[in-house]
Amino acid sequence: MRKLGRAWPSLVTCLVIVAIWQVASDREVVNPALLPPPSRVFPLLWEMIASGAVLAPLAHTLGYLAAGYALGCAVGISLGVLMGVNHHVFNIFEPLVELIRPIPKPALIPPLFLFLGIGTTTKLTVIALATFFPVLLNTIQGVRGVEPVAVNTARTLGHSTIATIVKVVLPGALPLILVGMRVALGLALILVILAEMLVDAKGLGYQIIDLQRSFGITEMFAWIMILAVIGVLLNAAFEWFERLAVPWRAK
Amino acid sequence: MTGQLNPAEAPIIEVLNLSHAFTARGHTVPVFQDISMSIRRGEFLSVLGPSGCGKSTLLQIIAGLLPSMSGRVLFEGQQVTGPPPEMVYLFQQYNKSLLPWRSVLGNVSFAMEGKTWTRSQRAERGMEYLRIVGLDDFADHYPWQLSGGMQQRVAIARALAAEPKVLLMDEPFSAVDALTRLELQTLVLKIWAQSGLTVVLVTHDVDEAVFMADRVAMLSRRPAVMDRIVETGLPRPRDAVVTRETPRFLELRHQLLDTLLHRDPVGADA
Ligand SMILES: Nc1ncnc2c1ncn2[C@@H]1O[C@H](COP(=O)(O)OP(=O)(O)OP(=O)(O)O)[C@@H](O)[C@H]1O
Ligand SMILES: [Mg+2]
Repeated sequence: MRKLGRAWPSLVTCLVIVAIWQVASDREVVNPALLPPPSRVFPLLWEMIASGAVLAPLAHTLGYLAAGYALGCAVGISLGVLMGVNHHVFNIFEPLVELIRPIPKPALIPPLFLFLGIGTTTKLTVIALATFFPVLLNTIQGVRGVEPVAVNTARTLGHSTIATIVKVVLPGALPLILVGMRVALGLALILVILAEMLVDAKGLGYQIIDLQRSFGITEMFAWIMILAVIGVLLNAAFEWFERLAVPWRAK
Repeated sequence: MTGQLNPAEAPIIEVLNLSHAFTARGHTVPVFQDISMSIRRGEFLSVLGPSGCGKSTLLQIIAGLLPSMSGRVLFEGQQVTGPPPEMVYLFQQYNKSLLPWRSVLGNVSFAMEGKTWTRSQRAERGMEYLRIVGLDDFADHYPWQLSGGMQQRVAIARALAAEPKVLLMDEPFSAVDALTRLELQTLVLKIWAQSGLTVVLVTHDVDEAVFMADRVAMLSRRPAVMDRIVETGLPRPRDAVVTRETPRFLELRHQLLDTLLHRDPVGADA
């Protein structure tokens, strides 16, 4: 009930925006051929959902997103822990990281074409790369911020270096690792859509660019709305996961 | 108990000519110099000294947590190069040494992991140690749900669960209120008397050092040297109220406080 109570102002905002959109389209403030009114977008959207037409592209996109994101997180966390724990590893990888990190990841798509071909490998790689950097940097910072007293307690209680990393360093760094993973999730979503627009013939990104080219404008907007909902849901799911993973952070 | 200790027996720990310095912004600042002492098996030793004289540093070197710069530490005749499993260091900052993602029982079990115990044995023994410190009802709580004194008791139970021969305590009671402090002192003395542990307690509280210990090792101001080691000779069991009113307690308290406050630098008035 209280959750609903807090949500309703946002709901009103949404309704107002939809209303303005409808009026703008009706009064032809904007060209309705370019921005179809909600009264046309929503029924079409409903039809797409009811017929199951959204499922295949959605599954395609989310599948690649999950794979690339998982890959980027796994590599980012592993290397981040090593770099955070050992300054030799840090010194070896730091120049490389600092060289690639500032490049906006979409700029890497064309060179990746050359090496990996125009296809799913490039797509996965670029999603993983976008995920990798924020996860890596936050993991390093998280590992370095782990309470030395806790680490030394593990040592005096006879734990090995590996056990100390697994039982103290990783959980201690987890809150910051999750911050990195959350930022990475947003970037990964951007990159999967962009990559699909450039290299794929399936998925949400492809649908949107293809419909724009073939003037299926109403349907294009329906897909964009789906994408918006996906973004919101992913974020909510992540917040839920975060609360589950680091309950002690609430204190 | 004290009477049964045989000082002639090989000491459990020997500190041999330890010196230490820290380097900050290019300057090397000596912390303590040429500290030697023998710690007897089963004794309760207090290390007393003014703030910043290097008590924590000394204790961490003994524990194998910090490498020594010069000099050696022998534990049962072996040179200490890393944390020996049979010595446990109890940190002053209990709130940082407990793992917030583990329950109270989980924290105690942490001391038994990596050894031969099964999970259920760990839980069972963990509960026993929690019973000793009076926290068995809080096994499922999380550290942040407990008061400071309770958290330190969890840390004590965890240290005991590692079954050490030596317990090194760095100002374990300095962050709790005065009454809790007295209760914890009595609790630690009780555990020590029943366990045969060797305890080294670092403190800058003269009252606490004398009340708890068989012997008090006194460090001077920084750069610290070993000022002297005195036998307290107070009878056991000790009582939080009565022991502190005995002539011997007052005499020691007077002596040591006087040295801490007025004699500076050490050795000048020898
Ligand atoms: N990592 C470090 N780098 C530089 N100087 C340090 C470091 N650790 C401690 N020191 C210095 O060494 C001295 C001794 O520190 P230590 O913590 O051992 O003293 P202490 O006797 O335990 O003090 P307290 O009673 O306040 O706990 C202090 O003056 C401190 O400033
Ligand atoms: Mg200290």
